[in-house]
Amino acid sequence: MVSKTEEEQVNRLEGQVENGGGGEWEYLCLVRKLKLRRSFNVLKYGLSILNNPKKRSALGSEEWTLYEQVAIAAMDCQRLDLAKDFIKILAEKFPESKRVGRLEALLLEAMDLWEEAEKAYSSLLEDNELDPVIHKRRVAMAKAQGNISGAIEWLNKYLEIFMADHDAWRELAEIYVSLQMYKQAAFCYEELILSQPTIPLYHLAYADVLYTLGGLENLHMAKKYYASTTDLTGGKNTRALFGICLCTSAIEQLTKGRNKDDKENSQLASLSATALEKDYKQRAPNKVSLLASTLRSLKLSS
Amino acid sequence: MAEDLVLDTAIRDWVLIPLSVVMVLIGILRYFVSKLMRSSNQVPDPKMVKEGQVIIRARNLRAAANYIPAKSFRARRVYFNNEENGLLYVPKGQAQNPQAQMFSDPNMAMDMMKKNLSMIIPQTLTYAWVNFFFSGFVAAKIPFPLTQRFRSMLQNGIDLSTVDVSYVSSRSWYFLNLFGLRGLFSLILGEENATDDTQRMMQMSGFGFDPTKSLGAEKDSLDIVQHEWALPKFERRAEAVLKKLVS
Repeated sequence: MVSKTEEEQVNRLEGQVENGGGGEWEYLCLVRKLKLRRSFNVLKYGLSILNNPKKRSALGSEEWTLYEQVAIAAMDCQRLDLAKDFIKILAEKFPESKRVGRLEALLLEAMDLWEEAEKAYSSLLEDNELDPVIHKRRVAMAKAQGNISGAIEWLNKYLEIFMADHDAWRELAEIYVSLQMYKQAAFCYEELILSQPTIPLYHLAYADVLYTLGGLENLHMAKKYYASTTDLTGGKNTRALFGICLCTSAIEQLTKGRNKDDKENSQLASLSATALEKDYKQRAPNKVSLLASTLRSLKLSS
Repeated sequence: MAEDLVLDTAIRDWVLIPLSVVMVLIGILRYFVSKLMRSSNQVPDPKMVKEGQVIIRARNLRAAANYIPAKSFRARRVYFNNEENGLLYVPKGQAQNPQAQMFSDPNMAMDMMKKNLSMIIPQTLTYAWVNFFFSGFVAAKIPFPLTQRFRSMLQNGIDLSTVDVSYVSSRSWYFLNLFGLRGLFSLILGEENATDDTQRMMQMSGFGFDPTKSLGAEKDSLDIVQHEWALPKFERRAEAVLKKLVS
């Protein structure tokens, strides 16, 4: 994850370069290091460096890394002609290179030649069975073709080997949610929480999935996870606050007539309702009445 | 009997400094040579990678066990520790295999040999050089007093038994440099340089058993973990946060 200082640095450099104040190479290096996806900017500034022979020779051996970076950016911006030129230059310099092979397969993907790309990736995999990038490209290809179940299959195979890759778990969770396979999605979110327990995003997503699954036990758990999200974000996450209110009212509906743990629950729910009202008053004052009526209908606000 | 020996400044100029400079240069040379010699085909073994990842996942499970519900934790624990097809379970018979496999696998053996050689040869040569040229005199004085036991270790070339043990020979300066320049190298050459002898030696001894032993260790520690669901605590904490926010 990108840290705050790095984010500021990137934004500052971006502003600087846009206003014509040099520093393009540092910007490109930073984007490459942090793996950000600013293809338009990368393409623009990378091209300006590469087309200027003086600047290009000043880069020395880093020139080739820049070619790779700009080629990928070109493919992202659908400038396939540019990408093809760059890849050709790279292939001339580094024949029989796996990295260039990967770029060529990526170009085939960009041109929608799915079978050729698939063949290229399989042959690359034969040489090197454990290249995570190639596995991920296969998953991306399946997803782009709309073959979601194929994507799931490839992703599962990838995760069998690389279990600790939390980005992959996240991707899998999102795919499951899109397919409404909530139990599996819950499993994936649990993996994410295990690997990074202090990120509120995963708690929130897990709580959402649990709430969607329904059932009394899941609702209780969802409320707890909304609470943990609130705790981790210092009470600022509106969605979590809403989640708490909704969970409480849903639980009340399900347990009509049975008074369990009444004191604790009502405090949390009423507190979150008050926090929501305060937040809305500050940020969206014209919606406060809407909020108040909603909360009243949930029997929370007094 | 602690007479203060006055050491000639020429010793400092012609022994201590050149020795350090030579060791730094040899270290840098070794780094580049190892970079060149490293075979470009470092195909990671799929089994090793998978085991490494399994260990990371198991460790995450142990660390954050209290954040997921009890049922999921138990399900995962069974998945890892199951007697028949659990991920961490290694039957006793296989425990010996990795080491034997390592030595029989020519590629890996060659790699290890190369790495070892690039460590050992410069060390041996430098040591011999130090011994040949810089022996038989007192090179430096250690600022703190030592017991007599260190005499044989530190004063090897000096045949006087009355000299204070704090006065050491150049051999000990060599050893001091050997272990001390590691920090300097990580500054100059960046992390992961080949001069990290001691670390590499420690890794070597543990290499063969690395996968199976650590798997077994993970399994045991996972068995021990008591699951205590932390989430109810979070509800209370959220209340406190909200109270502060609202008030």
